[in-house]
Amino acid sequence: MNGSIVRGLAVLAMALLFIGAIMSVDWPSGDIDQTTNERVGQTLFGVSSDSGYGVVVLLIGLLLLVAIMGGIFLAKEEAE
Amino acid sequence: MIPIEYWLIFSSLLFVVGAYGVLTRKNAIVVLMSIEVMLNAANINLVTFSSYHTALHGTNDASGQVFTLFSIAIAAAEVAVGLAILLSVYRRYQTIDVDKINILRW
Repeated sequence: MNGSIVRGLAVLAMALLFIGAIMSVDWPSGDIDQTTNERVGQTLFGVSSDSGYGVVVLLIGLLLLVAIMGGIFLAKEEAE
Repeated sequence: MIPIEYWLIFSSLLFVVGAYGVLTRKNAIVVLMSIEVMLNAANINLVTFSSYHTALHGTNDASGQVFTLFSIAIAAAEVAVGLAILLSVYRRYQTIDVDKINILRW
């Protein structure tokens, strides 16, 4: 119980540190709502054949496949 | 328009809530969920700074958002493997209390 309070206080101190650091910076004003879905798609897949992150998307898909296969293998019931 | 400070404070609080969960909870599934909350805080930071960079420099570059998509996909893979490990641990030890699973300690 005591340790839980200490951890809570440590986390609270971390929150105050974060907020203090953020508020101490003089951020230049800028409208951050300008990026469109179209622009995200263009960055992701590129506007020409040699730009974008298409290969990375394929590799991420492969990673997900391997992860789900590993998960199934780990969660599989062992034979009696 | 929401100022960037609000987004950064929001993500900081989200990170802190996740850190509190990781540090205080004993249930491994709750710890896994708290790690996901911390990861989402990092994702919000990525999107915020990417949009902020676009607004300041007018480059219209959405790399931060794209990296966030990759981060979400990797988080999904992490959850798949993590839950499978927890299932396997529960079958063997009949508990997922992180204080009682000490097989990797030395």
